[in-house]
Amino acid sequence: MACNMRTRDLLTGHLIVKRRTGDSSVVRAVVVDRNILVKNTPGSSNLIMKTLTKPQVETVDMDVSKGRFGRFGGKYVPESLITCLAELEAEFNSALRDTAFQAELATALRDYVGRETPLYFAERLTNYYKNSKGEGPEIYLKREDLSHGGAHKINNAIAQAMIAKRMGRKCVVAATGAGQHGVATAAACAKLGLECTIFMGTKDMQKQSSNLRLMKLLGATVESVDGNFKDASSEALRDWMGTMESSYYLTGTVVGPHPHPSMVREFQSVIGKETRRQAMERWGHKPEVLLACVGSGSNALGLFHEFVKDKDVRLIGVEGAGFGLESGSHSATLARGDVGVYHGALSYLLQDEEGQIVEPHSIGVGLEYPGVSPELSYLKDTGRAEFYTATDQEALDAYQLLCRLEGIIPALEASHALAFLNKLCPTLPDGTKVVVNCSGRGDKDVEMLFNHKFHSM
Amino acid sequence: MAISTYHATSLPKTCLPSFTTLKVPSKPKNLHLGCPESKRSSISCSSTVCNINSRENDFTTLQRPDSVGRFGQFGGKYVPETLLPALTELEKAFHSLADDEDFQKELDGILKDYVGRESPLYFAERLTEHYRRPNGEGPHLYLKREDLNHTGSHKINNAIGQALLAKRLGKKRIIAETGAGQHGVATATVCARFGLQCVVYMGAQDMERQALNVFRMRLLGAEVRGVHSGTATLKDATSEAIRDWVSNVESTHYILGSVAGPHPYPMMVREFHAIIGKETRRQALEKWGGKPDVLVACVGGGSNAMGLFHEFVRDSDVRLVGVEAAGHGLNSGKHAATLTLGEVGVLHGAMSYLLQDDEGQIIEPHSISAGLDYPGVGPEHSFLKERGRAEYHSATDEEALEAFKRVSRLEGIIPALETSHALAYLEKLCPSLPDKTKVVVSCSGRGDKDVHTAIQHLQV
Repeated sequence: MACNMRTRDLLTGHLIVKRRTGDSSVVRAVVVDRNILVKNTPGSSNLIMKTLTKPQVETVDMDVSKGRFGRFGGKYVPESLITCLAELEAEFNSALRDTAFQAELATALRDYVGRETPLYFAERLTNYYKNSKGEGPEIYLKREDLSHGGAHKINNAIAQAMIAKRMGRKCVVAATGAGQHGVATAAACAKLGLECTIFMGTKDMQKQSSNLRLMKLLGATVESVDGNFKDASSEALRDWMGTMESSYYLTGTVVGPHPHPSMVREFQSVIGKETRRQAMERWGHKPEVLLACVGSGSNALGLFHEFVKDKDVRLIGVEGAGFGLESGSHSATLARGDVGVYHGALSYLLQDEEGQIVEPHSIGVGLEYPGVSPELSYLKDTGRAEFYTATDQEALDAYQLLCRLEGIIPALEASHALAFLNKLCPTLPDGTKVVVNCSGRGDKDVEMLFNHKFHSM
Repeated sequence: MAISTYHATSLPKTCLPSFTTLKVPSKPKNLHLGCPESKRSSISCSSTVCNINSRENDFTTLQRPDSVGRFGQFGGKYVPETLLPALTELEKAFHSLADDEDFQKELDGILKDYVGRESPLYFAERLTEHYRRPNGEGPHLYLKREDLNHTGSHKINNAIGQALLAKRLGKKRIIAETGAGQHGVATATVCARFGLQCVVYMGAQDMERQALNVFRMRLLGAEVRGVHSGTATLKDATSEAIRDWVSNVESTHYILGSVAGPHPYPMMVREFHAIIGKETRRQALEKWGGKPDVLVACVGGGSNAMGLFHEFVRDSDVRLVGVEAAGHGLNSGKHAATLTLGEVGVLHGAMSYLLQDDEGQIIEPHSISAGLDYPGVGPEHSFLKERGRAEYHSATDEEALEAFKRVSRLEGIIPALETSHALAYLEKLCPSLPDKTKVVVSCSGRGDKDVHTAIQHLQV
């Protein structure tokens, strides 16, 4: 993030961690270890720090109000941003208590976004996974693909755009990977009459060109940045920091400095809340297993958060294994990453021996992020949630399977969660209720697959 | 009844007739036709003006269609003998479903959980503001969000209904025709959902232009068969689909995509889409305690319009406005404004307005939006126009593109180019409406499929 770039000048060779979990004013974040290495790579706008080899969980509960999830999270940003973040947090808390704001948001979610999204019983998929005795889990899809814009991203974008307006900001700045957050932000800004600038990596633009076109049609200015999402993020932040008084940085996912992860999670948690109610109506109790893909973690947390305290509900996240975990070309941050600070928060991230970011890869462009949500890092470390991976090929197979069996074209990101059903279902008792977050529709991927002839027809 | 064809060379030797235009020696100014059973007085009408006595214009009692599938002089079953039993069977099955609680429950469940209904009635605040006059007055604009449905348009409502019906009839195979591919994709979608075999006929030229939709249909497990005869476009694909149906009527159901075709299709398709209007009534009552004042919808074949209008046809205080495609302009000869410039004839098995030349040959229509690019129109629309119950206007390609851009920028909703025609008409409509008139526009589809076209034309 640009904030880390600024801190380059402030830091000297040795850095010290101040593990004050209740303190959100940490400016310098360091990790103490045998081998401390801090390197600021030219061209990389992120300060990466070498991590501890063994995770030490300092607190067991999440001090959400201070932006900490155990030791993860925090506000690793330069001083100049602290006031801004505090202002944002205050505004966010005020909005949460404001009944008029909540009513307006509820109307927007219902009439504009199209909520509530259905909890759909995937009958043919369920039958597909039945064993020879006719036993198997029951598979339900939470249909975020039906949301306006085609993914869960809009839940957060519309809420934050409303907050931006409430704060009197005239323009919004955002960064996007696959383009879904960009499209959602552009749409929300158009609806609310806000100017919108979206930063997108050139590599991503090529892979998700349909989303690029949609953003432009919605009236957003799209700035291209060499590279992909992480580079676009940095550039977006840099841009925003120059106009902080009049513009609002609309974050798309549950990473970044506090209060971003909590805010985004709060707005996405409508997914889990609806699921609880729908499950109760449908079969009279909670779901037993929740399954979601994990890039940075917004759709997963959106589904999981409601159920974190329900220990009898299993939470499973599926990351992108790309060409395979051994290939080195993947996005499996929780599976293969180490702990460090990235984009303003302490979390797992993909870094090499020298603390440099490893370029992630996944066929699901939205999963191609070298970091991950601090809250998910915490859920992993405490064993509350389990994380697995699926390769590009497994995701593609799952994509095609859902098309053929249910007539639903899922996003390639969501296909990773669906792919994991292959391994999961045989282990589940008969009748287990599984809810998979169908986080987006796959129209954006059709063109890419068509052009690259991934199809087998 | 003798039916001559306009593409005789495209017919096989056995000379299977297809749904074609009725060849007439000259442009009919007066059509004297037998009247529907329920009304005994004869109707003498020109193609544009009718003298109807007030009893026949009483929509509260009028049966639409009547027992032989007619809407006034329009509709009917202009098909070869071989198809009549299938159509009768279909009609019987359809009527029996109205009382079948299990069927209704299954259909409702699928519409809710699979399609994502009910679709919202969305207050378009910035669009309303855009049309506000300097004195602060203006209509209130609402969008019925069919664009949020699974597959992105209203088409799925009918595809689901017909697929369920086909399953009831024990059919394992579905066929359909498609122009740009939207109806094909909706059909392939429901076939995947229900595990039915699916064959979609598509003009070879359309297949080239819409390669992505072809790929989509194949992803969903459908077989897409290219049709090379004639102009290799929609009307040829329709003929081929019908030919297939005639040969495979026992095992196959033909999912027609719009309120056109022989009875019972116009009625059936309307009924499956009628949920749009039913929901609108309830939502309007919740939102402002009354009915809408004006309903606006684009008209190609007419299914989304009938879906919205049908519920309100009997409410004479609700104005029904259909908007067709004027293409390059009504005088250009390149348009699809069937109800404005067409004449009465038979196409695809029904009597209705259609675009034909002096020799009764179909005029190739044009619209920037593929879904409105149809030379005919549903017979019920022809009837509503004739009786003055609904008004039909048109919007050019350019006006539609402007509306496309306007709504995208003002509401963050990218409408389909078809829908954009309805939205374009607001430019002419709104200035004339009293303050606070409640207008509901059918947002029949989303415009993701049109981005290429739009970007080219709008130079965004």
